[in-house]
Parts: sequence; C-alpha cells; structure tokens
Amino acid sequence: MTTPSSSLASPAAGLRPERWAFLRSPRLASIALLAPALVYLAVMTQAPFLLTLWYSFHNWILTSPELGHRWIGLENFRYTVTEDPIFRSAILNTLEITAAIVGGSLILGLCFALLLNRSFPLRGVARALLIAPFFVMPTVNAVVQKNLFLNPIFGLVNWVATSLGFNRIDWLAVHPKTAIISMAVWQWAPFMMLILLAGLQGISDEVREAARIDGAGPFTEFRRITVPLLGPYFELAVLLGMIYILQLFGEIFVATQGGPGTATTTVPYYVYQTISQANDVGTSSAQGVLAIIFSSIIAALLLRLLTRTFRRELTS
Amino acid sequence: MPVQLRARFSPAALGLNLLTYAIALFVFFPIFWTVLTGFKSEADAAEIPPVLFFHATLDNYRTVFDANYLSFFKNTVLLATGSTLLALLIGLPAAYSLAFHPSRHTPKVLSWVLSTKMLPAVGALIPLIVIYKEVGLFDSRIGMILLYAALNLPLVIWMMRSFFADLPREILEAAIVDGARFHEIMTRIVIPLSAPGLAATALLSLIFSWNEFLLAVNLTSANSGTLPVFISGFMTSEGLFWAKMSAASTLAVAPVILAGWLAQRSLVRGLTFGAVK
Repeated sequence: MTTPSSSLASPAAGLRPERWAFLRSPRLASIALLAPALVYLAVMTQAPFLLTLWYSFHNWILTSPELGHRWIGLENFRYTVTEDPIFRSAILNTLEITAAIVGGSLILGLCFALLLNRSFPLRGVARALLIAPFFVMPTVNAVVQKNLFLNPIFGLVNWVATSLGFNRIDWLAVHPKTAIISMAVWQWAPFMMLILLAGLQGISDEVREAARIDGAGPFTEFRRITVPLLGPYFELAVLLGMIYILQLFGEIFVATQGGPGTATTTVPYYVYQTISQANDVGTSSAQGVLAIIFSSIIAALLLRLLTRTFRRELTS
Repeated sequence: MPVQLRARFSPAALGLNLLTYAIALFVFFPIFWTVLTGFKSEADAAEIPPVLFFHATLDNYRTVFDANYLSFFKNTVLLATGSTLLALLIGLPAAYSLAFHPSRHTPKVLSWVLSTKMLPAVGALIPLIVIYKEVGLFDSRIGMILLYAALNLPLVIWMMRSFFADLPREILEAAIVDGARFHEIMTRIVIPLSAPGLAATALLSLIFSWNEFLLAVNLTSANSGTLPVFISGFMTSEGLFWAKMSAASTLAVAPVILAGWLAQRSLVRGLTFGAVK
C-alpha cells in the first residue's frame, strides 16, 4: 500500500517542470505496463515480415511438398523484377489507381468540406449522409456497384445514360480501372472531407475577417488564406490515404478479379493470386517484400509528419 | 463577433445550401438504393426502368438467413468484439504508460507502434497462411481474434494516449496523493473521465475488424468466415439475385454505419491517430 505513495508524495514532485512528473513511479512500472503491447505487436506484426523476407529467398511451392523448400538466394527477386511482365504492370496499375483515387477523393473531399464549413439548417444530417460511404465494407461496395449500378443491361447507371441518349457501356469490361476508381473515390472522399473539414474549422474567424477587411474576395481568400493554412491537413490526408489505398483489395477481388486480363491487377491482388492460386510461397514472398519496401518509403514520410505534430503537442 | 461572417439570407447562400443537400443525397443514394432493393421481389429488383413503388417484402431477409448467413454474422460479431476487447486490454495500460510516464524514448516508441499499421498486410500474409495452417489456427476464431487485435492495437494506443493526455492533471494528482493504486486510478478516474474517447476508440476498432477482408478471405473458410467473405461468396454462387444480395448487404453494413455515426465526434482523431482533434 505504501509503495506507490513513497516515491510519489515527495514534496518536490509538484514543482518539477515536466508535466506528468508528479505521477512518476518507478521506471519499472511504466515499462511493465507498456511491454505486453510492444511484445504482442512485435510477435504478431513484425515477425511475419521477417518470415516473408526469409521465405523470399526460397523455392517453395505449397502443393509440391516433395520439392521441399530450397534456398535459391535472390532468384525470386530476379525473376519478379526482370522477367515477370505481370508484376511490372501490377506496379504501374497500383500507382495509377492509387494516384487517381487519392486525387479524386481529395478534390471531392475538399468540395464537400467547403460546403459543410458554413452554418446552415440540417448541417448535421448532411454531414452524416456524406460520411456514410466510408463505413461501407469494400466487398459490399463492389458487389452493389458492380450489379445494381454498373451492370450493362439492368444497371442504374446505364439506364440513366441510355435515357439521356448516350450509348450503353459495360463499364467493368471496357473501363475497368475507371470503374474501380469511381467505387473507391465514393468510399474515400468522406475520409478526405473529414480531415480537411477539421482543418477548415481550425482557421480562425479573425484571420478571415482580416482578409475581408483588406478587400479580399472569396477567391483570393480561398487561395491566400484557406489553401496555405490547410497545407498540413492536405499532406496528412494524402499520405494516410495513400497508405490505405495502396492496399486496396476487396473492390478488385469482387468487381474485376484483377481483369479483364491483368488490367486491374494491383500488387496486393497479384500477391494474393500467386499464393492462393499458384501456391508459390517463394515468389509471392518476394513480391510481398517489394511491396513492403515501397510502402515503407511513404510510411516514413507520414511518420515524420505525425511525430512532428506529436512533438508540438508535447511541448505546447 | 462573427456576425458579419454568417451569411445573412441571400440567394447565393440558399443556392449553396440546396447544392449541399443535393450532393449529400446523391452520395448517400447507393446505400439508400441497396436498402430499398432489399425489400423488392427479384422481378422488381431487375426491372428497367427501375421501380420506385413496389410491394415490399421480407422474403429476401428470410432467404438470406437460410443461407447460413447467421453463422457468418455470429463470427463477425465474435471476431470484432473479441479483438476489440483484447486490443483494449493490452493497449490501455500501454497508452496510460505513454501518456503519464513519457520518457525520451516515447516518440520513438509511438512511431514504431504506428509503423506496424502502415506496412501492407500482403507483406505479412504469406507466413500467416503457412504458420496458421501448421499450428491449427487456420480458419479458427481465436486465430482471427489474435490477428485483428494486433491490427487494432496501434489505433488503441495512439488514440487513448491522446485522450489520456487531455485529462485534467489535478484530479490524478489528488488521487496519487491519496495513495490510489494503478487499477484504482484506472477504473475510478482515468476510464470514466475518458469514456467518450474510449467508446469512440472501441467503435472504430469494431468497424475495422468488421470490414476487414484480405486476411479474412485468405485465413478463414466455413468455420470462422466473416460477413465480407460471405458477401464476396454470395456473388459467385447466387449470380443475379439482386434483391437477396441487397438484403444481405444491408444487414452487413447497417450496424457499421450506425456505429460510425455514433463515433462521429472522435472520428477524425481516430482516423489520423490523434494528429487532428
């Protein structure tokens, strides 16, 4: 009973400059509270990455156990990078699809945020309706859009298009990338909206008022005040969006199965195909390792941004 | 006073309001249409031009429940709640430690925690398949709970650390002076005071587990399959039964949208790992 208070009740505790110094119990206690989480994370998330790296140096086909798993050095990487045309197109598809989704949802999200950043009746309802798509599970999104909306004969989109005198289009066959991108933009625009709206609400009325008194019109105000002050929020939205959208999988799995051909085969989907259809542990691991390296670059940028925010919060 | 800023009644403001309503309805329309189609007969569902007035039926919901939907629903609920509880159990003490006993390593620890969330899941997928098959965790609920808890742990740690850091320090100080121990501080002060934040964190964790697909489709089958897997399978086996598909989709999505609306206030904080409040 006396253990915790003995070290904490020292009269000098409240005078220490550190914010939580008064709570400082033996260092060991704080480590004991932290350790389980760190160990758990390391075992469940980091160990698999190391194993992926290990597997990637092996020739190992799950369905041919008689071949065993043989060390073949960098052969899987050599094959994946120099000989496999599908992997190369998968990288290009991933970049193209991710860039389009991030860009599209950012622009739409900004429009939504600007519209919501005013006071008007039923604002809460409008906001609730606008964020709803973000919660829809990706497989449902794809199933619904593929059928109810994009089906070439019975789909709603084609009914509207033909009623307006346009031609009937089988979107998933003719423009599969556009179809995937539009599904994902619908889902991610609310995400961008939420972050940018938080940024807009952080711009004080005084700043805007000052700009208006100085004679700034709505356009100048947007360009000179809103955009610069939203900068960090744009950065955050883009980086976070990229981290998640690079991993897009459910939509492609359900709507196009990576096709037609390999038109919408992205890196995650290709890794999935290599492991679940070819049962090739070695090659799929090499692909996984390359995907990790690529994502790490973006993750490093994002982490720097987030830790900067975190430091500011600590010192304020 | 921002009186001048608030637009007085003007045609421009009215126009913008109407535009906002129109866009909001347009964005929400696919969800509305799915719910509506779930109550149609199959014939009405595939009708062109689409029918707005129809004889509503609950048949689709009945058929969906027959298609062993219930077992997938149960799995989803168990996996989502189980993994959320486990993540909170391990994550809350860690968040407490990081918020109240920061050291010079704290920023590094936090970045590392977050970095585990940022690497692509496909990079971990292959060993998980191999190991889970080896040790008998493949297609087991426990195996999926363990994994989802790890996926949600960074969220719990970051979000709760940021909520804990906002607590009024005087109250904690008083408790410490009174000789309260860790679990007393936790259950009597810290958790009740950060209850809204805790609820939001739990809801977000539930949502992410509920919707997760990549791991679910690769590591589960009949035994521990979840709703995203059910929906993707429904597709291939049922073909053009749109009304049934819509009913199944509605049931899978409705709880998550409701949870998301409930968590609205802390949503941005959760999605940005506490960077934006």
